[in-house]
Amino acid sequence: MKTAALTMVLAWAAITAGCTTTENSSRNLGDPSVHGKTLAEQVCSDCHGVTGNSINPTFPRLAGQQAWYLSAQLKEFRGHHRGDPAGFEYMWGISRSLTDAQIKELATYYAEQKPDADKPENTKLEDKGKVIFASGIPGEGVPACMACHGAEGAGSAQFPRIAGQHANYIVKQLNVFQSTEGRPNAAAMKVVAHNLKPAEIKAVAAYVSTIETKWPPHAEN
Amino acid sequence: MEHLILVKNSGLNRLIHIALVLILSLIAVKAHAVPAFARQTGQNCVACHAGGQFPDLTPYGRLFKLTGYTIGERALPLSGMAVLTSNSVKVKDATATGHAEDGKPIFNTASLFIAGKITDKSGGFVQVTYNNYTGDTGYSGHTGSDNLDLRYADRLIDANRDLIYGFTLHNNPGVQDVWNSMPAWGYGVVPGSTGAGAATTPLLDGGLAQQVAGIGAYAYWNKTVYAELTGYRTGDGIFSFMTQGNGGQVNIKGTNPYARLALTHEWGPHNVMVGLTHLDVHQYTDTTSHSGPTDHYRDNGIDFQYQYLLDPYTVTATVTRIHENIDYGTLGTPSATVDSLRAKGSFIYQAKYGATLSYFNLTNTLGAESRGWTPEVFWTPVQYVRLGMQYTKFNVDSAGTNPKASDNNTLFFYVWGAY
Repeated sequence: MKTAALTMVLAWAAITAGCTTTENSSRNLGDPSVHGKTLAEQVCSDCHGVTGNSINPTFPRLAGQQAWYLSAQLKEFRGHHRGDPAGFEYMWGISRSLTDAQIKELATYYAEQKPDADKPENTKLEDKGKVIFASGIPGEGVPACMACHGAEGAGSAQFPRIAGQHANYIVKQLNVFQSTEGRPNAAAMKVVAHNLKPAEIKAVAAYVSTIETKWPPHAEN
Repeated sequence: MEHLILVKNSGLNRLIHIALVLILSLIAVKAHAVPAFARQTGQNCVACHAGGQFPDLTPYGRLFKLTGYTIGERALPLSGMAVLTSNSVKVKDATATGHAEDGKPIFNTASLFIAGKITDKSGGFVQVTYNNYTGDTGYSGHTGSDNLDLRYADRLIDANRDLIYGFTLHNNPGVQDVWNSMPAWGYGVVPGSTGAGAATTPLLDGGLAQQVAGIGAYAYWNKTVYAELTGYRTGDGIFSFMTQGNGGQVNIKGTNPYARLALTHEWGPHNVMVGLTHLDVHQYTDTTSHSGPTDHYRDNGIDFQYQYLLDPYTVTATVTRIHENIDYGTLGTPSATVDSLRAKGSFIYQAKYGATLSYFNLTNTLGAESRGWTPEVFWTPVQYVRLGMQYTKFNVDSAGTNPKASDNNTLFFYVWGAY
């Protein structure tokens, strides 16, 4: 019995010690030699999904997001400049030792993934949101979302993608812009969101979450 | 031998005392820091624990454990935990076993954790607990091995497949599980809480805790199917570090199998699990012996968990049903059955304010039964301190101190802290 037990422990120790350097499945966030794609698959996928299409709306969809925006946000988290609660609770620590190269690799990985969108489920609410998205609320000084984020909300070299984002995430971020100083680098959104009422935020978020965009974005029709 | 253990333990006790003083002073000085796993990932407790509350895990917390506690970067692998409690039984009897200090605030228990990643594919936690108060004879000052789980794990993942597989070495059937419908993590987890009273519970509900060594292999496929096979043997010889200081050693015969199958699904902010567990154990009738007749325990469990996670609300609900058959090795002793039905629902707001309601119904042919409810409210002002109050209401309590069940109703207050 003792021999059997000893064999089991030795086998376990050998397995443990023997397989420590396979970089393609490392979850080590402090090792600059691990590729961003590996981290995306081994770590980030736990919340954001392996293709960046998260299931729980606590975590934003990253698939198809503009690479420059993903890089900027990861650097904001790493530098503790983005202080919205979920960002602080989940992302400051995870990003603390990422190198610029890993951030670039992560951003490229997610930018290349095909984004999902929610299925429409409350047409009345979504239609109300579509009006705000397309025309803004002129009487209240709220500009149209599409003026900056694009007709499909797919973003550009200056503005992030919002199409297909979880409605709950959009609502929370609009509240962060409107009532906190948690995202100082999105000062433009503070002005934009200033006069939005809760019901309007809910409507525009509901619509934005259902926008499907053509993929890949630059494909010829 | 016994003398030797006592001497060793008193040395260990002093060590634990010193460690505790150090930890408490650290809490006072550096109150923004968090326990070992959180230091490793740099995240808040709320990332891995539903609503930031022990012991309920989020889907991410479950994956953190299944991937061998390896996410993040190595950090100081030490954490401490201390629990102060006070209870009050409706009809008091200070002479009854386990009730000598009723009604008085007591420093109940403290634990030291060594926890964290070891290599990129292995990690674990080892808990050593100092029980200041065991209940039977008042203060005891007793230190022993508590839960332990060491793992090796790997993950094959791309856009088309996701397979996590690994091996675990642990000392309590169920402690390796990642859902909170498993008794090891599900019910009466606050040290000193009344739980289901003194009724008989199945072996799967703590009967072999810190008495055995289990080596298991598991796989989790596409975040959908979890399967595990573990073998348990007596925690002696080279495994005795896993069972030290826990009183008389339970001896089981050979390797005793445990099998687990669970199906999981996640949609929007919801996730569910339904699982089956089987444990088959031959335990020597003469617990001091390694030979002779054995009592044969067969436990079959079915459990369910539902979770809703979307700030500011967290809901976790579990139901666990275990049926146990016991065939005794002593000639002439009739077979017995032990049944356990437990359920718990918890609601947490803003990761700070929480309420839980637990139900227990323990029935068996051995005559030690209980049935009742435990509502609890708690407050977590900062993520490493929790204050809670429970009231356990017995409808049946045939093993309790007072013959009338409701006379054993107990109010329980606790302060939990971890660093």
